[in-house]
Amino acid sequence: MSADTERAVPDRDPGRFGRLSGTLGRRAVTALIGATIVFLITPVALTLAASLAGDWTGVLPQGFVTLDNWLHILGLQESVGAQRALGSATIQLPGGYSVTILGASLVFSLGVALCGVLINLVVGVPIAYAVTRYDFYGVGWLNTAAVLPLVPGVILGIAFLRTYPGLPSAAALVIGYSLLKIPYMILAVQSSFESMDLRQLEESARSLGASWPRTFLTVIVPNAKRGILSGAIVCWTLAAAEFNFSYMVYSRGPRPFSIFLYNNITNSSILQTAAAVSLYFLIVAGVTVALQATGQRGFSIGGVR
Amino acid sequence: MSTLDDRELVDQVRAGGERLLVPETERGRERRRIVALVTPFLLLAVVGAFVPLVYLVRMSLSESAAAIQGLQFESYRTLALSVVAYLPVLGSGLSADPVYGEVIWNSLWFGAATTVVSVAVGVAIAHGLENYDLPYEGLLVTLISFPISLPGIVVAFMIMVWFARTGVLTNLFATVAGVDPVALALTGQPPGTALAVAGLFLGYCYSMIPRATFLLRGSYAQVNTDAEEAARALGATPWQTFRYVTLPQIRPGVVGALILSFRTALAIFGTVLVLKALSVVTFRFDQELATGFNLPIASALAVVFFAFTVLFTFAGLRYTSAEVAG
Repeated sequence: MSADTERAVPDRDPGRFGRLSGTLGRRAVTALIGATIVFLITPVALTLAASLAGDWTGVLPQGFVTLDNWLHILGLQESVGAQRALGSATIQLPGGYSVTILGASLVFSLGVALCGVLINLVVGVPIAYAVTRYDFYGVGWLNTAAVLPLVPGVILGIAFLRTYPGLPSAAALVIGYSLLKIPYMILAVQSSFESMDLRQLEESARSLGASWPRTFLTVIVPNAKRGILSGAIVCWTLAAAEFNFSYMVYSRGPRPFSIFLYNNITNSSILQTAAAVSLYFLIVAGVTVALQATGQRGFSIGGVR
Repeated sequence: MSTLDDRELVDQVRAGGERLLVPETERGRERRRIVALVTPFLLLAVVGAFVPLVYLVRMSLSESAAAIQGLQFESYRTLALSVVAYLPVLGSGLSADPVYGEVIWNSLWFGAATTVVSVAVGVAIAHGLENYDLPYEGLLVTLISFPISLPGIVVAFMIMVWFARTGVLTNLFATVAGVDPVALALTGQPPGTALAVAGLFLGYCYSMIPRATFLLRGSYAQVNTDAEEAARALGATPWQTFRYVTLPQIRPGVVGALILSFRTALAIFGTVLVLKALSVVTFRFDQELATGFNLPIASALAVVFFAFTVLFTFAGLRYTSAEVAG
């Protein structure tokens, strides 16, 4: 603070608390931010380190560097608890051929989540446009209902299972994932739409002779591609690791990735669990880099619910 | 109702349908567009959520756990009696099992406590990120948002890395103080003990602080910084500026963050399933199904939970000053 502003300050005692907040407030808030980041990120770093360690009985993991935990988790090494590894699946193709997929749980979950994302694109982009562009009866309620995940995954899971008992696990997971993750898609696309002058864009295109469907598909949607892309990436990652719904719905067939994580967290040794969880961290790290390219900082979509 | 009325009604519906599908005015065409844009979402919501939830209500009234059969209100009666039995004075004379009352109370107080702490920390972080020139701000934002991507079970593992028997802090304190790490661990303790609940508390905060922070950053972006600077220039201390200038501006955002964080806290399941520290509603729901497959009671619990969440969220967002940025 310069001498000028110092003189402008009225001669009044702000009290002990006021003086304290003046001197310590900023430091306290900065320290809190630092402490929070340490609290959030240290276990992530330790987990990544431990996945390469041979032993973790003391304070810090030791015995670097070994790939045993990773080989075990990826199912490339025969050892105790191999049923909790990612596993491989052999698919019989017509004509006597067969294909073996390594990391079956991960591939399965990524595939199912991708289907969920496709549904989210078809469902999320139009409704995001409707609530941003048009004013109609009940738009506020619809908006609230669309961006709030009102049903927790556990409850939705059991309700789903009993309502559609004949449905294969994979199909149930696709619908469940798309429903549970759609708020992220809508919020991401909405924030893109909000930064555009939709009315002007639409009217220009219409006045140049484009029909409304053509305007929507070839003018509006391409303009929002950043939001659509970041929404799709976030939805895909979150759906691939969705646990609560998967835990209730999964019965047989290929095991979802989150169930693989759960089996390891509850049963495996800490080092093997560290490798399993690290596998997910690496995916998230890759996704974060991809998100950066779309102009999105991490998973911070408009205050994620 | 006479057949004449019937025919009129059918005609009206048909005319309305025709107006919607083959509109003649611009307003009609706009209405058709809105319907076309909203229909996919409504379809997903009806198939994915509405029908299963109606079925859930029906299951809670079924006499059999295996199939939809008959009609009974026994499960709701059990829940209601249990809640009353759990009440301190009123329930003392009742012989009903207070377990569900306890579970609901656990969900409420634990959710409220973690919400208040998470939102308070979130306000401070959002304040710092917005007002201070912190180095590597982009990196900080990315790091704080990282836990949003983690499912509850992984959050539980993060807490175990810190505080389990083999955890870093547990071992650090045990070495420094020379005590057995088992006495210090926050996870793996018997459910309901202070240590176990403290561990779960930190787990909830781990998932909720990042979410609260990003809800609040939306409100902070809209704060009028001119007013803050004026207050500072007129001699207000930083605390006074925050209390009388900033806080009134972000209050709707804070209320919104409280409501949504509380909703998040109530719905947390994976973290509790792994840490098994406190019996909350979602956990009990799973236990009812895992041991004895008590579907009517589990469904009734879920229906009560869902009804409460919806009423609380919508009422909160509509009838308070709450504002949901984003």
